[in-house]
Amino acid sequence: MIDVIVFAISALIIIGGAIGVIALPNPVHAALSLIATFFGVAVLFVQQEAHFLALVQVVVYAGAIVVLFLFVIMLLGVDRAQELGVEPLAGQRAAGVAVGAVLLALVVGGLFLSGDPDRGGAVALTGQSGQVVPTVEGEQDVIQLARDLFTRHLLTFEATGILLTVATVGAVVLVRARGAEDLILDEPGTAQH
Amino acid sequence: MIGQPYLIDVDWGDLVQAVITAVISFAVLLVSVMLMVWFERKVVSRLQNRIGPNQAGPFGLLQTLFDGTKLFFKEDLIPAEADRFVFKLAPYLALVPAFLMFTIIPVAGDFSNGHDGSVMVGGEKMFFQVIDPPVGILFFLAMSALGVYGIMLAGWSSGSKYPLIGSVRASAQVISYEAALGLALASVLLVTGTLSTNGIVQAQSGGFTSWALVTTGFVPFVIFVIAGTAELNRPPFDLVEAEQEIVGGFHTEYSSIRFALFFLAEFMNVVTMSAIFVTLFLGGPAPAWDFPWIDLPLPGALMGFIWFFGKLLIFLFMFVWFRATLPRLRYDQLMDLGWKVLIPLALGWLLVLAGIRVAQDNNIGLADTAFGDTLIILVIGLAGLAAGAGLLAAAIKNARNEASAVALPTSGIVGMED
Amino acid sequence: MSQYLPALALLILAALFAALSFVGSRLLAPRNPTVPKEAPYECGIIPGREPPQRFPVRFYLVAMIFIVFDIEIIFLYPYVLVYRELALAGLVAIAIFAALVFESFVYLISKGALDWGPPSTARQIDPSLVSAERTASTTIRKVGLEGRLPHNEVAA
Repeated sequence: MIDVIVFAISALIIIGGAIGVIALPNPVHAALSLIATFFGVAVLFVQQEAHFLALVQVVVYAGAIVVLFLFVIMLLGVDRAQELGVEPLAGQRAAGVAVGAVLLALVVGGLFLSGDPDRGGAVALTGQSGQVVPTVEGEQDVIQLARDLFTRHLLTFEATGILLTVATVGAVVLVRARGAEDLILDEPGTAQH
Repeated sequence: MIGQPYLIDVDWGDLVQAVITAVISFAVLLVSVMLMVWFERKVVSRLQNRIGPNQAGPFGLLQTLFDGTKLFFKEDLIPAEADRFVFKLAPYLALVPAFLMFTIIPVAGDFSNGHDGSVMVGGEKMFFQVIDPPVGILFFLAMSALGVYGIMLAGWSSGSKYPLIGSVRASAQVISYEAALGLALASVLLVTGTLSTNGIVQAQSGGFTSWALVTTGFVPFVIFVIAGTAELNRPPFDLVEAEQEIVGGFHTEYSSIRFALFFLAEFMNVVTMSAIFVTLFLGGPAPAWDFPWIDLPLPGALMGFIWFFGKLLIFLFMFVWFRATLPRLRYDQLMDLGWKVLIPLALGWLLVLAGIRVAQDNNIGLADTAFGDTLIILVIGLAGLAAGAGLLAAAIKNARNEASAVALPTSGIVGMED
Repeated sequence: MSQYLPALALLILAALFAALSFVGSRLLAPRNPTVPKEAPYECGIIPGREPPQRFPVRFYLVAMIFIVFDIEIIFLYPYVLVYRELALAGLVAIAIFAALVFESFVYLISKGALDWGPPSTARQIDPSLVSAERTASTTIRKVGLEGRLPHNEVAA
C-alpha cells in the first residue's frame, strides 16, 4: 500500500513537472518544473532500491544540468514570459502531437500486446527481463554497478569520456563563433535593453 | 518490501520514532545555529579587540534569539519587479536542504575498539544519526547541489541588478568548487571503501593514524577545506555579498523573516560543513586515541559526542578565524584557484593514490615485490602528474597570448569589476 | 525505503517552520508598502536603467565544464569502491578516462574560457584600459539625476 502511495505521489510530481516544462510561459518556471520531475524520478529510483542512481539523478541532472539551463536562460536574457501561442516552426505542434502519439502507441503496445504474459512485454521490447532486486543478494547496488561498468561495459565507459570531450569542444566553438573577443571581455553597452 | 502484496504495511512504531528523531534534530540544529551565530560574533569581536554581545542573557547568549524575534516585527517587502512566486519559494529552497544535509552526520556513538557506533538503549540498538543510507555521503552532495537553487533563484526573482549579479557569481562559484569538493571526497572514499557515513567513521576508528586526514596524505583535506569554505560563500570567498560592489548580494531585496531564513540556512550550512569535515577527515565521534590509564565512567555514546564536539569546534573556530583574518579574493583569483589549481591537483592526487594502493596489493606483477610495484607506479604517476601540469601551464600561457592578440573594442566587465 | 522516513519528517518540519514563520511575520509586521520601498535597491538614487539582461558567456562555459567534471566524479565513486579487485586494468581504464576529461579541460583553458580578465590581462590587451588617465571622474557615469529637482531649485 505504502509502495502504491509513494509511486502515485511521485508519478504525479513527474507528470505535473513534465506538463509544467511545456506549458509554463516563463522559462525559469519551466526549469523549476524540470527539477520537480527529476526529483520524482529520484524517489522512484529509491523505491526500486537503486540508491546510487537516485542520488546521481539529483546530483547530475538537478544539480548540474538544470543549472546550465538556468545560466543559458539568464545569459540570453530570455527569462521573461513568452507568448506560447506562437509557433516558431510551422506545424510543429501538430507534428509533436503525432510523434508523441506514435511513441505512446509503441510503448503501450510493446508492454501489453506482445511477449510472454507472465513476464510482461518488457522482454519483447528489450530482449531482457526487467529486474528490480539486486542480482546478488546482500550487495550494494553501487558495487554491482561498478563491477559491471568497469568490466563488461568498459568500452562504453571510455566512449563517454570521448563524448564529453566532443561536447566541451562544441560548446567552445559555439560561443566563439561570433569572434574571439567575446571570451576576453564583455561589453556593458550590450547589456541593456 | 518489493514483491509484497499490497497491504497497509505502515509500522507505527517506526513512524513515531521517525517523528521524534526529526523533532529532536530540528531543535538541536536551531539551537546550534543560535549558538554558532553568538560564537562567531563573540570571537570576531575579541579578534578585533571589541567585546561583542554581552547584554542579552548570560554572556549575550540570547542575542541571536532576540535579533531573530525582532525580524518578525519588520516590514516584509516584495519588490514591485519581483517574480512573486519564485521570490517566496527561494527561502524554502535554501532552508530545507540545509536541514536535510545534517541528517547523515553521526554525531555520537561508541566507535572505540572497532564498535560500529551503536549503543544499546533498553535492549535496542541505537545509532546517533538521523538516517544512514548506503550512499550517505552522496546525499550530502545532492543536498548541497540543491542548495544552489535557493541562491540562484533568490537573486533572479528579485528583479534587481545587484541580487542578479550576486546570484550568478555565487552559482558559478558554488558549482566550480563543488567539482573540487567531489574530487577530494573521492580520495576519502578510496581509503575508506564505503559511501555510508557510518562506514566512513568506522574505517577511521583506529586512532588518529587511521584518520583519512593521514591516510589520504593531507592534500585532499586541504583541498576539501578550501572548497568547502568557498561552497559556503564564507570569507575569504564571500564575493557573493561583497558589500562594496553588489550591496548584499543575492538577498539584497529580502527583508524581515525571509532574510532571517536565508541567514539561518547560511549558518546551518557552516555547522553542517564543519561536521562533514570532522566525519570525513577526523573520524567523527571516533576517539583519536584510547585512554588506557583513565577509566572514565561515561557511556560510550557520550564519549563519542565529546570527541565529535571537540573536533567540530576546531572547524567552527577556523571559519571565524578566516573571516577575521583573510581579505576577500578577487573574482578572477577565485576562479583561477578553483579551476587551475584545486581541481587538477585533486584529480591527480586521487589517481596517484589509487595507483599506490593498487600496487601495494602486489597483484599487478610489474615487479617482484609490492614495494617494487609501488615504486614503479609512483614513478609513472609522478611523471603523469608532471606531464599534466606542463600541459596545463602551456594552456594557460596560450590563453594569455591569444588574449593579448585580440584588440578590445571598449572597456568594462559586467558583473566582475574589481 | 523506510530508513528515509526521519529525513522526510525533517523535511516537512523544516518547510512547516518556514511557512509558520511567514504567517507569524504577516501577523506581527507592519504593512504599508510604498512605491519607493518596492523599487529595486539602488543606494538611494532613482534607478536610471534596467538590470543587465545578459551575462558574460564564460558563466555558460563554467556550467558546461562543471557538467563534464560532475559526470567524471560520478564515475569515480563506483571506481573507488571496487578499485582493489579491478587492480591494474581498472587503474588503466580510469586513467584513460581521466586523461580524456583532462584533455577537454586543457582545451577550454587554452581557449581562455576560464580567464576572468584581471587588470593585468586587460593591460596586455589595451594599456589605456588601466592607465592613470582613467579616474573616477572620467569613467563613472553620473546617474540618478533623472526625476530630481535641479540643484538651484532645491536651494531656492
